[in-house]
Amino acid sequence: MLPQLLFLFLPSLSAQQAPQAPGPIARPVGAAEPAPMLQVARDTVDHTMAALSGQDEPPYHLAVGITQSHSLQLSASNGAIMSRNEDWNRYADLDLRVGSFALDNSHKLLDAGWFSEEGRSIVRLPIGDGAEDVHAAELTLWREMDDAYQQAVRRMTKVRANQSVKVERDDPSDDFSPAPKVVDIRPVQDVELSVAWEESLREVSSIFLEYPDVLESGVEVTAEAETFLLANSEGTQIQHTRVRYRASVYAVSVAEDGAQLAVYDYLDASTEQGLPSVETLRELAHVSAQRVTDLKNAPLLDPYTGPAILRGRAAGVFFHEIFGHRIEGHRQKDEDEGQTFTDMVGEQVLPDFISVVDDPTIRSMVGLDLNGTYPYDDEGVVAQRVSLVDHGELQGFLMSRAPIEGIDSSNGHGRRQPGNAIVARQGNLIVQAHESVPYEELRAMLIEQVEEQDKPFGLIVDDITGGFTLTGRVTPNSFNVRPVSVWKVYADGRPDELVRGGDFIGTPLTTFSRILAAGDDPEVFNGVCGAESGWVPVSAVAPSLLLEEIEVQRKEKENDRPPLLPAPPSPKGKTKSVAQSTQEPA
Amino acid sequence: MILLLMSAAFAAPPPGLMPALESELERATTELKLQEEAPPYWVSYDVVDGEFATFFAEMGAVISSDITPYRVMRVETRAGDSTYDSGNFDAFGEANGVLSVRLPLDDDETAFRRSIWLATDASYKQAVEQLSRKRAELPPSDPAVSELPAMLPADPVVDLSGGALPLDADGVKSRVVQLSRVLSEYPQLEQGQAAGRDWQGQRITVNSEGTRLVTDTGYTVIRVEAVLKHPDGSRLRNGRWWVARTAAELPPMEEMEAEVREMAQWLVALEDAPVLKEYLGPVLFEQPASVELYRQLAAGELVGTPPEAQGRGMFGEAPIARPTARVGRRLMPSGWTVVDDPSAKEAGHYTRDQEGVPGERVVLIEDGVVRRVLNSRIPSKGAERSTGHGRSMGSERREAMPSNVQVTAKRTRAERAMRRKGLRMAAQTQNQGLLVIRRIEPPAMSEDMDITFMGEGPGAGLTRPYEAYLLMPDGSEQPVRGLQFSGVDRRALRDVVLAGETAAPVGVMDGPPGPERFYIGAVGGLPGSWAVPAVLVSELELDGGGGGDKRVLARPE
Repeated sequence: MLPQLLFLFLPSLSAQQAPQAPGPIARPVGAAEPAPMLQVARDTVDHTMAALSGQDEPPYHLAVGITQSHSLQLSASNGAIMSRNEDWNRYADLDLRVGSFALDNSHKLLDAGWFSEEGRSIVRLPIGDGAEDVHAAELTLWREMDDAYQQAVRRMTKVRANQSVKVERDDPSDDFSPAPKVVDIRPVQDVELSVAWEESLREVSSIFLEYPDVLESGVEVTAEAETFLLANSEGTQIQHTRVRYRASVYAVSVAEDGAQLAVYDYLDASTEQGLPSVETLRELAHVSAQRVTDLKNAPLLDPYTGPAILRGRAAGVFFHEIFGHRIEGHRQKDEDEGQTFTDMVGEQVLPDFISVVDDPTIRSMVGLDLNGTYPYDDEGVVAQRVSLVDHGELQGFLMSRAPIEGIDSSNGHGRRQPGNAIVARQGNLIVQAHESVPYEELRAMLIEQVEEQDKPFGLIVDDITGGFTLTGRVTPNSFNVRPVSVWKVYADGRPDELVRGGDFIGTPLTTFSRILAAGDDPEVFNGVCGAESGWVPVSAVAPSLLLEEIEVQRKEKENDRPPLLPAPPSPKGKTKSVAQSTQEPA
Repeated sequence: MILLLMSAAFAAPPPGLMPALESELERATTELKLQEEAPPYWVSYDVVDGEFATFFAEMGAVISSDITPYRVMRVETRAGDSTYDSGNFDAFGEANGVLSVRLPLDDDETAFRRSIWLATDASYKQAVEQLSRKRAELPPSDPAVSELPAMLPADPVVDLSGGALPLDADGVKSRVVQLSRVLSEYPQLEQGQAAGRDWQGQRITVNSEGTRLVTDTGYTVIRVEAVLKHPDGSRLRNGRWWVARTAAELPPMEEMEAEVREMAQWLVALEDAPVLKEYLGPVLFEQPASVELYRQLAAGELVGTPPEAQGRGMFGEAPIARPTARVGRRLMPSGWTVVDDPSAKEAGHYTRDQEGVPGERVVLIEDGVVRRVLNSRIPSKGAERSTGHGRSMGSERREAMPSNVQVTAKRTRAERAMRRKGLRMAAQTQNQGLLVIRRIEPPAMSEDMDITFMGEGPGAGLTRPYEAYLLMPDGSEQPVRGLQFSGVDRRALRDVVLAGETAAPVGVMDGPPGPERFYIGAVGGLPGSWAVPAVLVSELELDGGGGGDKRVLARPE
């Protein structure tokens, strides 16, 4: 069994795209009409259930999900366009279950060998909506459905044998739960990007030429309309589109010790008009270039334990990794998992001034659109706000339609990237502080902690790239949160000092017990989270947190020397002096 | 001739690119140097600038449609000197001084220079480390390298007159959709896909030897494949493909459609065909099956590029890197000739290879014996110069690859004579009929699991037949299914007893001989052509099988 390694990253949409040419998909429609492919999904479900009803092992549940996307990407670097991509895709996911709600083919095989599981194929469908597209889609779904059925029957045979041979599980809950029928057909939406972006990106990307320490850099605008279609054997029919726009900048430098330093910043929006103005992008480019320049000249942070403040976005990632993944429902019944919180419902797991919810229904917070918003999950269950921790006390778990002991239904968190089996995932994880202080006061409390603990300094983490956590039993149940920039804060009044090269590590229960106070400054981290069911968009919202103690370990680093020759001359930009910024964290 | 008329869709390198390449080459060769190390002694920039149009369709419906501008630079830096350098050594996949980077789509000299600057820096550092690894494992005194130059010589060339051939994205898309639509006429088929790519661009080469060259590069390929599920559960496949320099050189659409219909009809007919469980006896390879027989078994015997040398063995023994090909080996019966000619106006046509060396017509086999082999600038024993066959995909090393290959026999027979002879031989070996193979799946389309997991070609040495039948003594033809070759290798080519008349070339997409040719995908690889007559092989062994999961659900109307 592989240790469960779960990632969270700032997404770069372009990295996942294969460019494609214009095609006949997802044109905007005014009225909420069912898309032709939704009817294909509906018919496939109905025909399959009827046709297989006479089999010895008939399916008891069937869902056909179709995800169609239209994405646009434009990037520039050093004043020139680097890429223009447009991409259409349409994928189908078939979830066919034989057996019963209590025991079905999805049941985990205990002590299964490496090759005991058959692969799940990625099903590509035609990207158009014409008659030939519909026919080809029907044919593809028929073929894949037949394969899926036979695979399900084969696996059910193994499940029954495994049940007989192995001991009973700790959690005897069912494998699947019923869900109410939902019919909700919303308009299909599309995205577009104005050609004016090209000139804007050229201009903004040339700003980095002014900074001699910036080696690689870029500016990117992306847009994606992702339409989800779902039909299942309970009569559910859902059609909705999720639209995302993002403008981002990045800058990369190399320190003398070979460490590659990258700063990435972004602004998300739900419409093209909501994207930042060119002025804002210019400012973002200057700030990012200066930050990476400062980091290049910053000293290394040595391994350390002591008090620290995690600023809002860093605190959000911290909670996503060390808490969020551990309250995903399926981990509570999987006996390969560490199950940190499985038996702690009703117990105090966090300070009593902190509550945590996961709410995929909230569209925006503190003026920013959230990435983890959706109306229905991928199993057709309406997205629900879930209270996870109330005043420090654990309340429950994020649930897909796989029940766990004590919770027998979904709360709308079954999610996946197309091509993967669904499990419970986070949406918008929101950390709330019932008692909070202004940031300056939190900073003063940090200095008090430095003095009380007789430490040489405290730390402020003001930006973060992501992190990962291990939740299995085979490996230590630890986490790693990866900051971009960290500041040393001295108690004697010296200016804060920017440092680099440290990751925060720890284990969940110990670290939670070290939270002392929270700020009144919630911030939003929008990213993509990778786990068993693939990459899904998520948000983490949290105020700044003061921790009594965190541990820092040295960050892995690259070892190539910086370029041997100076950069070629740049007639576009006026190179700035290399003076280090003395700006302290805001 | 048609190539000349259609040339120069891109008349010149993108503005700003040549000055950027020249400036950074100048800096790389005069200023770039690590303190304790020698500067690079050889630097080459190879920019490929063009457009890819790739389409997939199923039963008349577009699955994916992709038209992408492409501007990528391959930079190669060598550390060392002309007698011994960092090249042609594999340190278990460590970076070796060859890398590819995207260049800006805008024609912007400043942006070009920054990309080239950083790529050259990384390439030089990689080359220096690679040289040290090579010195440790394969020192200059080692006989494996001491008698060879670092690189075979080539005359610098300055010719900026080349340019890309025209792209016809719409035309290729339309053909892909229409050919897949033809398959929807056959309700017995459960899959009917077509894939196509038109890739046209210009290759701009600038190196420290003084070469400044612009040539056209690209190809057009269309493949069609259909799958039929036999009532016994067998998955039966058949395919067709066309490769040309440009879309304009593809056959007329009616001809392609007719071929696809013929393909589908063969598959449908297999519903009534028996599984031939085993066969040991003479086999007649019709064209184009004979192309696959020779391409798969002979290509490695015609290429003189040795594999990259690797580190010392477990007991400290020196690495050996020599090509499979041997001058003097009898590969075919007396009277056979094999020629490779890049100048032939076929799918593998080019005037200069990717190293800027003129493509030479090479007589490879005379009277059945290997007389010469194809070479790139990678040194090998006995090779004094490149034959102008250095080609590779992406940032791979420039190995020699066949271009347009023509295989001929001195004595040929009419088809009827070959069949008669084959039937006599089949009777002698107590077979009820003569096995005739009409088509063999190309390596790129093989689904055999040993390739997927092991990266190796099929154990049999030859991919499965798409189309095979038993020719009965009464002249009737009985299609058979489920066959695969067993234990075939190059020696089978010596067992050819009869050859048909001279054949027309068949366009192919290929990779270097070896496992890579199985991974090029439906529309990838490098173009070439093979002209091989029908041949009768005295004895081959094939096994047959059938069965699998039967469909439970009825096919939708």
